[in-house]
Amino acid sequence: MEVTNAIDCNGLSAAPTLLRIKQALVGLVDDALPLEILVDADCDRDRLRRSLGLQGDAVRLVSRPQ
Amino acid sequence: MPDLNVDEMPSGTSVPVPAKGVSPEVPDFAFDPTDPWTETFQKGLERAGLSGKRIYEVGIGTGTNVAFLLRMCGAAHVSGSDLDPRLVVLAERNVRSLAPEKANLFHPVRGAVSLIDTEEARARIAETDVIIACLPQVGDPGDRRLTAFRKAQAVELPEGAGEKADDHIAHYYPWAAFDEYPFNSVGLGLNEALLHRIRDHAPTAQVIMNFGCRIGTDIIFELFEANGFRPEKLHSQIVRQDAGTDISFFVMLEKALRGTGLEKDLVCAFFADEGALRPLSASEAQDLLDRDPDTPLYHEVCVIRAVPVAA
Ligand SMILES: C[S@@+](CC[C@H](N)C(=O)[O-])C[C@H]1O[C@@H](n2cnc3c(N)ncnc32)[C@H](O)[C@@H]1O
Repeated sequence: MEVTNAIDCNGLSAAPTLLRIKQALVGLVDDALPLEILVDADCDRDRLRRSLGLQGDAVRLVSRPQ
Repeated sequence: MPDLNVDEMPSGTSVPVPAKGVSPEVPDFAFDPTDPWTETFQKGLERAGLSGKRIYEVGIGTGTNVAFLLRMCGAAHVSGSDLDPRLVVLAERNVRSLAPEKANLFHPVRGAVSLIDTEEARARIAETDVIIACLPQVGDPGDRRLTAFRKAQAVELPEGAGEKADDHIAHYYPWAAFDEYPFNSVGLGLNEALLHRIRDHAPTAQVIMNFGCRIGTDIIFELFEANGFRPEKLHSQIVRQDAGTDISFFVMLEKALRGTGLEKDLVCAFFADEGALRPLSASEAQDLLDRDPDTPLYHEVCVIRAVPVAA
């Protein structure tokens, strides 16, 4: 999958990933959403989604094919 | 600040012996080399076995580490540069006075050099065995995007924290400019940018970097692992938090995690005592400072050596 303009979170564990997403979402206008977030293939997406709460709707979690 | 007479430094001593004689020139725009961060760094460098190595220092400051590497660690030669072009000129003068007989082994890369972003710096790095650096790990309090994030967490910038000290760039980096690097989210974007460049231009070189461990040592180790390096701690010391440096950066990271279920995954590591027996989160540390700005706070500074996994 070709991913452009994604926020790269590769290599980050859960807490810094969440911080990065929250930082990216600050000040972003609605039509730039959903934001693509590039995460490690082994990232626990369910946990991340739960942590994001309502902000989860504003992002799409994707990972690079291995 | 104490005078240093390098001729009277017993070999194997990392902290220069204060004595009458030569002392480095330290104008206000330079990071004070008597700071415990530099002392910690030099103890780590001493343990790294650098005899005969070709070394490059990114962010050379006053040149105190260059003189130390040449005089005390037996480096084959040392190159170095800094973002502030005045510093490399200062470093040349200081190396000439602190290590006169070895000053010809110092190869300065002049001008304003961010990381290793000039042809000359990259050419030097390509013939280097070890790259050393102690770079800012806190986003500039005046950064526009960081300010927006701070406001979203309802964290106030303490009075005076946004003011620019003469050595501002020794403490803070332009946060948004390094946002392509994932570890920027915890203040390690500038350091990660350097690791990327080293991987590209000196793929077999080791790195030795000095870190404040306020963000937690685990995350710093993850930074190296994620970038293809195997880290190891060479030395660490508990130092007093610099009274002039803003810690609200760390407070807003903790606050942003509140209520997410991940708050225990990132708790900043401050201490109320020099013995590091009473840990404090950044929020607890900031509360103490709000009550009394002179409250002494401490944190670990550690020197990490990292070798490229692929080499
Ligand atoms: C904390 S001081 C350390 C000085 C010295 N290396 C030491 O250990 O005592 C950080 C140094 O990095 C420099 N610096 C900051 N940002 C930089 C960048 N992007 N590229 C190169 N040097 C930078 C500062 O000017 C300052 O001299």
